[in-house]
Amino acid sequence: MTKERVLRFGRAQHLIGVAGLPAAPAPTGSVGIIVLNAGMVYRVGPFRLHVEITRRLNACGYPTLRFDLSTLGDSGASNESQSRAQQIRADVADAMSLLASHAGCTRFVLLGLCSGAQNAHIVAVDEPRVAGAIFLDGYAYRTLGFHLRHYLPRLHSAALWHRFISRKLQAAANQRGDDVFAVSFPPRDQVRRELTDMLDRGLRLHFIYSGGVTRYFNHPRQFRECFGRLASRPEISACQFEGTDHTYALQVDRQRLLQEVEGWLQRNFPTSDGSTA
Amino acid sequence: MRLEPAQPCQFGTGGDLFGLYHATSGSARSAVLMCPPLGQDMIRSHRVYRQLADALAQQGIAVLRFDYYGSGDSAGDSAELDWARCRTDMVTAAGELRARSGCTRLIGFGARLGGSIALNAATAARLSELLLWDPVLDGSQYVVALDALQDALRADPMRFGEPRTYEDAAGQWLGFPVGAGLRRQLDTWRAEPLPMPVRVFDSLPPTAAHDWNLLLGDAVNVTELPTAASWDELDRLEHAILSPDLIRAVGDYLRVAA
Repeated sequence: MTKERVLRFGRAQHLIGVAGLPAAPAPTGSVGIIVLNAGMVYRVGPFRLHVEITRRLNACGYPTLRFDLSTLGDSGASNESQSRAQQIRADVADAMSLLASHAGCTRFVLLGLCSGAQNAHIVAVDEPRVAGAIFLDGYAYRTLGFHLRHYLPRLHSAALWHRFISRKLQAAANQRGDDVFAVSFPPRDQVRRELTDMLDRGLRLHFIYSGGVTRYFNHPRQFRECFGRLASRPEISACQFEGTDHTYALQVDRQRLLQEVEGWLQRNFPTSDGSTA
Repeated sequence: MRLEPAQPCQFGTGGDLFGLYHATSGSARSAVLMCPPLGQDMIRSHRVYRQLADALAQQGIAVLRFDYYGSGDSAGDSAELDWARCRTDMVTAAGELRARSGCTRLIGFGARLGGSIALNAATAARLSELLLWDPVLDGSQYVVALDALQDALRADPMRFGEPRTYEDAAGQWLGFPVGAGLRRQLDTWRAEPLPMPVRVFDSLPPTAAHDWNLLLGDAVNVTELPTAASWDELDRLEHAILSPDLIRAVGDYLRVAA
């Protein structure tokens, strides 16, 4: 039976999070899962996705923490003079210390959607306690293959032109400058270099792309097109859920995502008894 | 008045309910129970609930925010959300707020279906006044509206490359599963006048059909907010509802009335 505990924590006692603590204490060296905010959505996640993910992983034996970064959701400011990246690293370090003290885990897997994926990347670059990360709609870059797949079918399809124009018109109508999931990516060479360094340090990484980001990712093959030989390494993997939206608004899509996350974790971070964390 | 950090808490049977208590720096002069809306409205209005709770606490008014069973951080799957259980949870939360604040007289606040639940359970929770922000008053009309929005979401070209099947979208409203029980309970619910002061903060667009007096009676007071909130707009489904007007209006009213 998992117990969930709501906690105020952090270097300035400014963070709010919910720790999911499976009944059996985690064996030494086991991983805890930390779920980061998706855009401006508070810790429960879009359509309560983060609650569903953490509870499902708790049922498998993984300790979890879903929490709000500084100033998001119910968390306050730490009142330090730091860049946003420094704040995020410090907040996640606080989250790891909290989960370590409550669940005994010493290594962590970060999970984030959209800006949450970017923040997971920022932390994974130099945090030694991070053992892995699951990036939902994380970094990817348009390639020649992307452009061919995107534009060639449109040349002769009236339906696709209609949908393309509808999307453009709606997007223009919706542009009020407050898109909760708007993000910008760093240069591809920098990301490739940082991912290579993570893999060299032994991290395991999984990228899951939804069908909601076809504006920059439209085929599983694109991951290799983006990152070249890096994509061949066994510690990194990617998949695409064609047809879903960016935030998994439909239950059937959320179940598919949950199954993927659980499966990847159990393959890459099994527990000492071979079944759980 | 200094702002105290909100205190996270778990209460109710087995600690199943999640709450955040916004204490005052001295003894509270009054207390407000904030009843959240359901589904995506709850996520969209989370920020404004926090801002309003902070503003009221700075005025010396203690506040409890909480999640119903099957919603937010409280225990239970989203599919287990139940109208009768929401009502019970609100009564439990009112008891928690009385115990924490020391106030016996409680004011209820609720937006959309949070306002409906507050109306439904106000007497059982022994509230003395209700402040409602664009409350849903006619359940069956709202069920029809949510079904239409869900069908529009299923085929929304901004969300899906191809329209999704009816099966994929069935039994859900805007990202959340809906049990047959909740649907039936909401479908048969209509607001009735209450023997307590009720004030409606109205930010619905002029085009929306809403006659607050029709169901709440002539005694209801209405404060019209200058900016319309974007409830029930599919293209704003994942945008936060922000309303400085609402925070100002509720704060101004309670500065005098509480």
